[in-house]
Amino acid sequence: MMEIQEENLFEFAEFDEKESEHIAAPRYSYWKSVWRTFIRSKVTVALTIFLIVLISFALIQPLYSGYDPLIAPNINKAENQYLPPSSEHIFGTDNIGNEVWDVVWAGARNSIIVSFVSTAIIMVLGILVGALWGFSKKMDKWMIEVYNVVANVPYLLLAMILSYVLGAGLGPLIFVMTCIDWIYVAYFIRTQVMIIRDREYNLASKCLGTRTFTMIQKNILPYLVSVIVTYISREIPALISYEVFLSYMGLGLGTNYASLGRTISQYKSFMTGYPHLFWIPVLVLAAIAISLYVVGQKLADATDPRTHR
Amino acid sequence: MKKGYVLTRLLRSVISILLIMFVVFVLVFTMVPRENIFFEDGTYTKLSGKPDEKTDYVYNTWKKLGYLDYVKINDYCLTLYEAGSPEMQTALNPDSPETADFVALYQSKGYTVDYYKVSGRAFAYKDLPIIQRLWNWFSNLVRIDTIYSVQDSNNPDLERKVYFGRTPTGGLALIGSGTYHKYLVYTDSHFPFIHQNFITLNMGESYPTYQGLEALSVMFSSQGTEVKRDVTFETGETGSSAINFGSLTYKEKLDRLDKKKFVDHYANYTTFKDQSSMVGTSFTMGIFALLLAYGIGLPVGVAMARNKDGLIDKLGMLFIIFITSVPSLAYIYIFRYLGTTLFGLPNVFTTFGPSDIRSWILPIISLSMPSISSLMLWIRRYVVDQMNSDYVKFAKAKGLNRKEIFRWHIFKNASIPIVHGIPSSLAGCITGAIITEAIYSVGGMGKMLPNAINQYNNVMIIALTFMFSSISVLSVLLGDIIITKVDPRISLTDKAGRS
Repeated sequence: MMEIQEENLFEFAEFDEKESEHIAAPRYSYWKSVWRTFIRSKVTVALTIFLIVLISFALIQPLYSGYDPLIAPNINKAENQYLPPSSEHIFGTDNIGNEVWDVVWAGARNSIIVSFVSTAIIMVLGILVGALWGFSKKMDKWMIEVYNVVANVPYLLLAMILSYVLGAGLGPLIFVMTCIDWIYVAYFIRTQVMIIRDREYNLASKCLGTRTFTMIQKNILPYLVSVIVTYISREIPALISYEVFLSYMGLGLGTNYASLGRTISQYKSFMTGYPHLFWIPVLVLAAIAISLYVVGQKLADATDPRTHR
Repeated sequence: MKKGYVLTRLLRSVISILLIMFVVFVLVFTMVPRENIFFEDGTYTKLSGKPDEKTDYVYNTWKKLGYLDYVKINDYCLTLYEAGSPEMQTALNPDSPETADFVALYQSKGYTVDYYKVSGRAFAYKDLPIIQRLWNWFSNLVRIDTIYSVQDSNNPDLERKVYFGRTPTGGLALIGSGTYHKYLVYTDSHFPFIHQNFITLNMGESYPTYQGLEALSVMFSSQGTEVKRDVTFETGETGSSAINFGSLTYKEKLDRLDKKKFVDHYANYTTFKDQSSMVGTSFTMGIFALLLAYGIGLPVGVAMARNKDGLIDKLGMLFIIFITSVPSLAYIYIFRYLGTTLFGLPNVFTTFGPSDIRSWILPIISLSMPSISSLMLWIRRYVVDQMNSDYVKFAKAKGLNRKEIFRWHIFKNASIPIVHGIPSSLAGCITGAIITEAIYSVGGMGKMLPNAINQYNNVMIIALTFMFSSISVLSVLLGDIIITKVDPRISLTDKAGRS
């Protein structure tokens, strides 16, 4: 028989410094709460699904449609031109016999790619510069002058000269769209950073010797998530709009790229004769832009911690 | 507010404008090939059979536009010999000693020497550095007319004096001779009745479009068809003409018609036309759009805030979402379609012209849409923020009714940031609206910059940029000053009252 020994029954509890510091609170995960808040509204979920379908369709459809703006296979077939929407030609056909369905989605694809990539570049650059700008008073003095200059150079002049120098194409267009806009984001972030820079918790953090970069990353940027998402939700439709404007001015993508802006300005002369040609691209554009904006706003609301329950 | 602060801000604004101009000069002069400016020039194409004259024309134009300095062997020899003398003729030849001197002199100064293709005569040119071009532009910007302004070697007996007199239409005038303008100060029946030509802004002569017109008068002089009336010219000659006598300037070579009408060398003039200038048209349209925007945006925004989450708020939000997310190109067409089909309004401005009020309605509505939506959004935001603030609760506890709180407290505080934007929106009216004016074919400022860039009109590009950027930089300053007047709590100087 084993002798029950006192040493085996009990053991010393070690003093755990970490555990003693732990405050009992319900588990809070920021991103999980964002997700929960976001899917709370049925309308938002439905709109998000609609948006995802719309965007993936715009991205995938042109890969299989075989539409090329430089080739007009039906240009000499009069019976294939100006057809109204039907089961065979979903959006009808245009003045040179192209399927409007294909034209619209190819244009939407380029608009979406350009606006998403540009927004990504603008936001990353703008947030990085803006965070540093808001933090350093020395930098502020200089940057405010840079801002004054960059924001006042006529963007149209810059866009026209750049597109002249760089030529037309996806890359140059993205450059033209991003080379000025980032400074607006930087300025916006700078103001936001300045507002929270001098709050007490940051003062305390500074006293404890936190490095500036860590402070920006851990103390300030999380606070800005909802503001940034709000900005993005406005920036994407704004850039789609900008692309349309540039194409309308003849400055956007070259003629070898499909573009919603150019499609609209080409079809505008058919507004009275063949209204479907004009209204379909406009409505598709409006559908994409509005759903992007609304979903973005809802996401921005969800990323605001004050809405979390 | 300290006076010193405004001065520093003004100084900084001027530096900003200088830097903007520098960037624009770099863009225009280095990134666009200089050969392009001749694309729209008729004279250039006419000279294609005469290579020497063409070269001369090209370099003279570049010199006029500030690209380079250009010297011909003729100019050099004229300093040595009299014009038309036999020495002069031999000196011009490519193998003359004078040519060798000329080449040596200008090469030592850093010029590039070249020879005309046919005659073989020498000429030299040197690119001006951008800073020099900028300096030249600014130093010529303000032109003060003196009796020594005109230097015409063909007219050595030109009198140089200033005297009082009358214009041919009977107005009082201060008349100059030897000055660039004939009438330095004069009165007539056109607004603002007293005019002066003594100090004028000179932004260069437009080229290659609007040739012969100064950049500013392209923007500011009236458009349309000439308004002719019976006039008596200085010589007593009568006729029907749209001449604006106040605009008479010096003309070097008079033709037969000029001699019939004028007694002296002042024979260049502009005419009265029946439509307002480009700036005027854009400004009229912009002001009414702005009035409409404030007239609708403010009350609706306040109403939305007062009925937060109510029906008005939701409808207003729908409108805001629509305007901010749908490209302006699309909704302008939508509004135009609705306006023309439902109310029978003209779909372009030119159908009835600017004298008919119907032409203005749709462009003004289309132009005001973005301002309405952003004003609605922001005033709603500000009012909602103010409604939740402590002083409103206090006012309620003190027994003020809703109306009083709104009118005297909330609206006053919420309108401060709105007031800040007013000077900038006013300034925005001058720059014109590119898309709106293009869709409705309004003859305003909107098309000027795109057209100038497309036609390589450097003079106009620079003049427009200078005008737009100085107006916008200064209106930001003005907005800052106004808001300190509206709200004395705001201080623009750093830490005022705390230190």
